[in-house]
Formats: sequence, structure tokens, C-alpha cells
Amino acid sequence: MTQTISRRDFLKMGAATAGALAVGSMLPPKVAQAARGAGHLNAEGDGFIPSMCEMCVWRCGLVAKVVDGKVVKLDGNPEHPHSRGKLCPRGQSGLMNTYDPDRVLTPLVRVGKRGEGLFRKASWEEALDIVAANMLKIKEQYGPEAMVFSSTHNLSQVQFENLLYAFGSPNYGTQRSLCFNAMITAFQLTYGVEEPARNYEDVEFILMVGRNMMEAISTSETGELAHAIDRGAKLVYLDPRYTKTASKATEWIPIRPGTDSAFLLAMINIITQNELADCDFVKKYTVGCDGIVAEMQKYTPAWAEQITGIPAATIERIAREYAAAKHNALAHPGWRTSNFINSFQTERAIATLNALSGNVLTAGGCLSAEVAAEGAGLGAPKQPPYPRISALRLDGAPWKYPLVPLKLGVFQELRDAILTGEPYQAHGWFISRQNPILSLPDRAKTLEAFGKMDFIATVDIIMNDTAWFSDVVLPEASYLERYDPLLPVGDKAFLRQPVVEPQGEAKSALWIYKQLGERLGLGDFFQYKDEEDYIRQQLKPLRVSLEEVIEKGYAEMPEEEDDGEITFNTPSGKIEIYSETLKNAGFSPWPTWEEPPMPKEDEFYLLTGKVAQHSQFGTQNNQLLHKYSDEPRLWMNAKTASQLGLEMDDWVAVTSAVGQVHTKLLATEAIRPDCVYLTAGYGHLSKGLKTAYGVGASDSALHVTYTDPISGGQALSQTFVTVKKA
Amino acid sequence: MTDIKHHAYLFDATRCIDCRACMVACSVENNIDMDKTRIWVAGLGVTGEYPILQRGTMVYHCMHCEHPDCMSACPVGAYTKAEDGPVTYNPDLCIGCRYCMNACPFGVPHFDYDKGIVDGAFIDKCTFCPQRIYNGQEPACVQTCPTDALEYGERDELIKRAHERIAAHPDRYIDHVYGEFENGGTSYLILSHVPFKDLGLPELPETPINEVSEKVMEMTIPFALGWGAVLTAVSAGVAAYDKKLALSKVEVKNGKSAEKKAEESK
Repeated sequence: MTQTISRRDFLKMGAATAGALAVGSMLPPKVAQAARGAGHLNAEGDGFIPSMCEMCVWRCGLVAKVVDGKVVKLDGNPEHPHSRGKLCPRGQSGLMNTYDPDRVLTPLVRVGKRGEGLFRKASWEEALDIVAANMLKIKEQYGPEAMVFSSTHNLSQVQFENLLYAFGSPNYGTQRSLCFNAMITAFQLTYGVEEPARNYEDVEFILMVGRNMMEAISTSETGELAHAIDRGAKLVYLDPRYTKTASKATEWIPIRPGTDSAFLLAMINIITQNELADCDFVKKYTVGCDGIVAEMQKYTPAWAEQITGIPAATIERIAREYAAAKHNALAHPGWRTSNFINSFQTERAIATLNALSGNVLTAGGCLSAEVAAEGAGLGAPKQPPYPRISALRLDGAPWKYPLVPLKLGVFQELRDAILTGEPYQAHGWFISRQNPILSLPDRAKTLEAFGKMDFIATVDIIMNDTAWFSDVVLPEASYLERYDPLLPVGDKAFLRQPVVEPQGEAKSALWIYKQLGERLGLGDFFQYKDEEDYIRQQLKPLRVSLEEVIEKGYAEMPEEEDDGEITFNTPSGKIEIYSETLKNAGFSPWPTWEEPPMPKEDEFYLLTGKVAQHSQFGTQNNQLLHKYSDEPRLWMNAKTASQLGLEMDDWVAVTSAVGQVHTKLLATEAIRPDCVYLTAGYGHLSKGLKTAYGVGASDSALHVTYTDPISGGQALSQTFVTVKKA
Repeated sequence: MTDIKHHAYLFDATRCIDCRACMVACSVENNIDMDKTRIWVAGLGVTGEYPILQRGTMVYHCMHCEHPDCMSACPVGAYTKAEDGPVTYNPDLCIGCRYCMNACPFGVPHFDYDKGIVDGAFIDKCTFCPQRIYNGQEPACVQTCPTDALEYGERDELIKRAHERIAAHPDRYIDHVYGEFENGGTSYLILSHVPFKDLGLPELPETPINEVSEKVMEMTIPFALGWGAVLTAVSAGVAAYDKKLALSKVEVKNGKSAEKKAEESK
């Protein structure tokens, strides 16, 4: 623990700083007005306001308890399908995100060297002028494509994308290739949907391949899985680590890293060779029904045993159990599936298993592959067409990676193109609420790429590592202090609304992008007066007033008509187990086995993963989460450790081909002897993060960059390391 | 929810994923200092040898005993057992003697060395969230639990539910509801798949220790009076005997001297 100041002190500090810096405090408090108007707050300013969580991307509904203009407690909103009255530890700690003593509360302009952390305060006017002037200079000198834009999964991202497309740059860095490219690309190609929904209501058999649902929590789904297990559903869980999910599984299979697809292909082998599939469904709705038996013949359980280390009999038994559960079986698509170059094939095999069980779109089926037209019923501000972009994307999509969806991209390749200057040199980087310095593999390379930039601007609420290395930092209002565009979930559009006034001079992303757009001469693309006006325009087709949405927390959406037809959004309109698209791009049209590399004798697979208390690279400075998470250490099998003469809590040097970190050792039985594990998100470089700085080690500093040519996913578990006493 | 006659918790270790949402929720709801907590994770964690492993963790806070040891140990009456379940602590009465800490078999009351002198609150422990349960809400830890490992309700109903769950899945649970009878019963009931001692729970008799000690303590006055009476009687007897003896001695003395005198006079 690095700090022992009480939370009350932080609240006091926050209030003091806010008071000292707030220009906005001269104006009537807008939040209180709106909340009082909606009946949420009493005359004293106390009450409960519905809004939405942003501690991860699951976006639970919340109800904030406000006392004296401060949020003092968050509870799950029972009306929101993602929370159902509950919040995970991250959601519960959300107010410390807002009251983080390390909040950036005024625009900052760098005065020292990059990475020195020396900034001066600036007005919004000045800071935005500096950012706009630099962006325009780069556009004029090198073309709009020399500006790189990157941002991650947030509700205002639609306006971030608006800014980048209006500016005319094709270079868009999302974190998705470091996360779920393999899953999304595979399901897109097989079913025509990005991520099919799961239904646990009648599930009897669940197969999870490294989906650590009990630690990488999605509140409602984690609860559904727990209840399914409670009811007696069988969970077979593949993971080299005995995670908390493994401890709840009926059967934990500590499979060799990178060999999941061999296991799954052998399951498909058993199901197809023995005609255990839902043949009617497969014949009617899939492409590949005819050839699959012959194609899968080679993937026998005996073959898979050699590769995975799992006995053939076990694989066969699990395949038969899976098939016996029929459409009450679910092979979970997973989430962060960026593990090996062959992870795309793992996902294709998962997609195929679901098709074979006939669980898709059938009554009581456990996978829903309907294309949800999200936000279709909502309005949007008017805007002119985007300028034509002729420059190639630096990340290689689609000219180098033909099948990678453009909205996913290949972030790590974008970084490498900045270094090589091929096919052209990027000069500026505009980053919003993202921490690429910590999230991209091979951190040394990322820092080098930052060094090549003429100009870097970052929007964030705290001095994250990326902000630390930027030229201008623009302080965003936290998710409890701002509006974001509406989020449609099912038949409702949910609202994120401010529950407290922004501290200092923090502003919403909607405001920042509009201000910047206007200074860039792109005002026509941002035709909304303010955040409230933006949401009013969204609500217009629904004929619902903003006041009503502020009160309820959501707007009812008209239900989409179900025409009863089952069609898939693929070229054939069917589930493509055999994909012509893959074949035409020069890849195997069938789910197939690709041999992953293996560590040398003295090396270990470096695994990475999540804990329930943190989200990726952005929450480690949250004092409540810091308080309640375990000390991050390098997991190593206890027997292996003792063979190496290492003991619990020894300091060790972990070395990969691209980096070295020092960290403490956790000797445990809960991991395969050939693996070590680090929780992602630690090892922050920014000294502006007083809680997180100096805690744990960065896995990104060790990760070698490997890109899957089909999905563009980074292979995060394909890095091998040696471990020695430090 | 407000018509609950006996508030209680039910914790099911088979459902707990050790995510610690309850701990954060409690800390925020009750504005707990950053270096303190009212909920703990107990248990052995991962046990066994790779790859045959098991995990047993439990979150716990004040057990809200039916016969609280803290209360019987407290010399100034700072603890109260409410009729509807909660064991509450009154910092205004506390003198900081820490007897309750020694008395509690679950190690729940924690001494606050920083706040003690300044604010007068020496002990920190779960309050059962009265601000929530008497306003129609579940306790903070219960409401947020993503897997419903923590539940809240009428004690009798929770005990019934716990036994039903064991009956439905006898292979999954140890056939026992911890807290139904332990220490005379607690308002924090526990179901587990691993032996309760592996979750860090003490093996306690059904008759609470303090019930025995209280009975003994209740005997103090009668005992003191009785023993006093005995002693008085004894001492009175002794005194009477002594007097008698003294008299006879005098007589003897007198006799002796008479003899002596008689001898001397010879």
C-alpha cells in the first residue's frame, strides 16, 4: 500500500482543488438543476440519480447516491439488463475514479522533455488552439494521413471517429487487435455477427476456452454463469491456469498454451465422424455440411492428445457430452482471444461447434447470432459527407490484412509503421482515453514511436502513462461528471448523465471533440450546441424528451419486428463453416490446425490475464481497487520454482526477446509447470499516478509483437521468457 | 424487507468468486478509512497439488451472534444485541479496554489505534447497514454480490433455504449450516463445499461459551453470599470454638497454677 490517506481526506482535497480551479463554479450548477428538475435531488441537493458505469466496457446501469453535491455511493441499477441491481468491485469503486487525487483538472502543456512530467497549466482556449494549430500544421505539411488517431471503446467514440474521418485520416488505432480481433473476425466470417449473444437460461453444458468469466467479470453474464453452475449445468474450462473460473468449473483442463484449436478440432472430429450433430439444422443452415466429415477426419483425439497433452479419451468424452446436450450446449466465444497466431482458428472451431449443436437461433438455443442494429432507431446531428481518403492505412488493413474489419484495425502494426516510416511517415498522434504506452506489446518500441512524433495530445481524466509522454493533456470529465451519447440495449436506450458537477475545468469528450473540430475548420461535422442538445437530437425520432430520460435513466425504443426468417449476414446467408471468403483471401476455408511455436527448454510461456479488481491499463490508480486487489506477482508453478531455487516473494528478473522486468514471485500450484503469468496493467511509468507508480511489472514490456495475418490479432501468449533470481 | 423479524445473512462459499465487490461496497457505503476494512477474505485459497486443486475462500464480517461474546465481555455495555438480529456497538460508551476483541471467537472487532483517542471510536465492525436495511435496501455487501453468494433476509427462511440447497445438491455441500447452532447461533450463516475450519471458522460448541460464563457470572452474588455465609458460619464456629478453648485453657491455666500453687505451697 503506498498511501494511507483516508478517503474523506481525498473528498476534502477534491473539493478544495475544485473550488480553487473551477471557473464553472461561477455558473449555476447545471447538474443539480437537471437532477432537481427530474426529482432526483431534494432541496438540499441530496438524492439518487440513474446513470451508467464506465469502469469496463460492459456498461452496467448504476444509481448514484449524492449528498451535498458529492457522489457517496454507487449501486447497480435494477432496471438495467447489464447490472440487474449489482456492480462488480470496479463498478463499486467508481467514485474513486472521480475523486482520484491524481485527476488532471486543468489543460496542461508540456514544458520539460517528453516523459519528464513537467507541465504548465493552460486555459482551454490556449490548449485547444495549440492542439488545433499542430494538427493543421501536420495536415498541411504531410497530409491528413500523417495524423494518427486512437481511442478505445467508449460511448463518445462515435464522435471521436467523426473527428478523425472529418479530418481525413485513415489511421485509427483501437485496442481491439490487442483484445478480441480473433473472436470478432471469426464470428463475422462464420455467422456475420461480431459477437453473438449468449443465453444461459436452459444451458446444460458450457465449454469455455480461457474465458475467465469469474475474474474478467461482466456483471450480468458472470451472475448468469454462476446461477447456471448452481443449477447443475456442466462447465468445462480450458486454461493453463487454475483461475477462479477454473475453481468453479465442473472440469478444469490445464491445456498446453496455443493448442486449444487441436482440442476443439478433435471434438468436431468426434461429433462429425459419429454423426452426433444436429443434422437437420446443419444441413439447412450451414455451408460446409458436405465436406466437413472428410475434412475433420485427420483431427482424431489421439492426434490431439499428442499436441495438447490431454488424454484422447477425455477429449472424446467431452465431445460426446457436448453433443448430447444438443442445443443446450454452449461453446463460449470468449473475449480477449489474442493469444496465439492460431487464435483465429480456435475461434473458428468454437463457431463451428456451436453450429453443430444447433444452438443458434433455435428454441432454447444458447447462442444468438441475430444482427442487432444498434442505435438504428436513434437520431443524429446532421453533417456533410466525409472527405475522400486515398492514403493507405498504416496498420495494413485491408491492403496487408484483407480480412481485418476496418473498425478493428491492427494497432501494433500501426505502431510499427510509425517506426519504419512505411508506407509513409506519421507525425502526430491524437489519443483519447487510451493508454497505448502500456497496452501495446513491446513497450520499448512504443516509446520509440512516441519519440518520432512531432506532436502528441491526449485526452484523459488522470495522468496516465500516455498523457505523461504527451505534449498537451486535455482533462476529461469523469463518467460520473458528464453526458455521453445514448446506449441502446435491447428495447431501451440508456443514458449516461452527470451525477455531480465536473471537477476543476474537466469537460466531456463531446465538448472537447466539438471544440477541436471547430478549430480545425470542421464545425459542420459537429452540429450540436452542447451535450444535452446532442442527446435531444438522438431522442428526436423516439419522441421522448431529454427531461424524461434524465428522470428515468433510459428511453423506450420501438421493438424491432421479428420476421421469423433465419438468415445470417454472410455472403451465403448461412453459417459458413466452410468460408469462400477465407479461401479467396488465400487462407484455409475450413477451421484448421496451425502449429504454434513452443518455448525452449529453459523458457516459459508468458501468460497474461485479468483480476476482478482491475480493467486493462486504466484502473490501477484507483485507491479502492488498489486496496482490495492482491499484490501483483509473477505466478510460477511451486515445484518448478523450487527446482530453480526460487522461493515465494523472491525478486526475479523476467526476460523476453524484447525486454526485462523485475518483480516478485508467487509460487503456486495453480499454474502449469511450463508457464508463468503476469496480470496485465501494472508497471506504470507515469509518476503522475501516485498510487499505481512502482507497483508490479508490465507484461507489455516483455511482449514480442506477432500479428495473426487473418484477424490482425496480437499473439499475447506467444512470448517466451526466462526467469532468474534478481 | 422492512417486516423482517430477524435480519440475517446467508453466505454460500460454493458461489463466491472472491471478487471483493462486497468489500469495496462496504468501504464506500460506510466511509471506511483507506487502511481499514470491515469485511475480510478468509480460507486456504488454492489447495492440493497441480493439477488436482481446490479453492476455498470466504468473505466474512461480524457474525451478529445470538449470544454475542463481545457484549458479555464488555464492561460498560457498549454492545447491544437488537431483537431483530444486528449486534451494534456504541462508540460513546466504549472505554477502549479491548475485552471484546479477546472475547470474540471470530476475531471480528478491530481496534482503531488512530481514531481511538481523537474520535472516541475504538472498535470498528460491521453495523448490518441500518441505514439501508431499515430503508428497504439490502446491506451494501449483499446487494452488489454478482453471484448471489451473499443473501439477506429472515433468519429462519435463510436456514430453510440453506438446508434445501444442501438437500438438492448433497454432493456439493458439507451437510451443515454453520451458524445455525454454533455459539448459540449467529445471524451470518455459512454454506461450504470445504470443511468449515478450512474457511478459517472456529469449531464452537452449540452452547455459547458466554452463556456458560454468564451463568457462572450470574452465580457471583449468590455464591458470594453463600460462601460468605459459610465463611461467617465457619468463622463464627471457629470463634465459638476458640472461645471455648480459651475458656478451658484458662481453666487449665487456673488449674495448673492451682496445682503449682499447691506444689509451691508444699
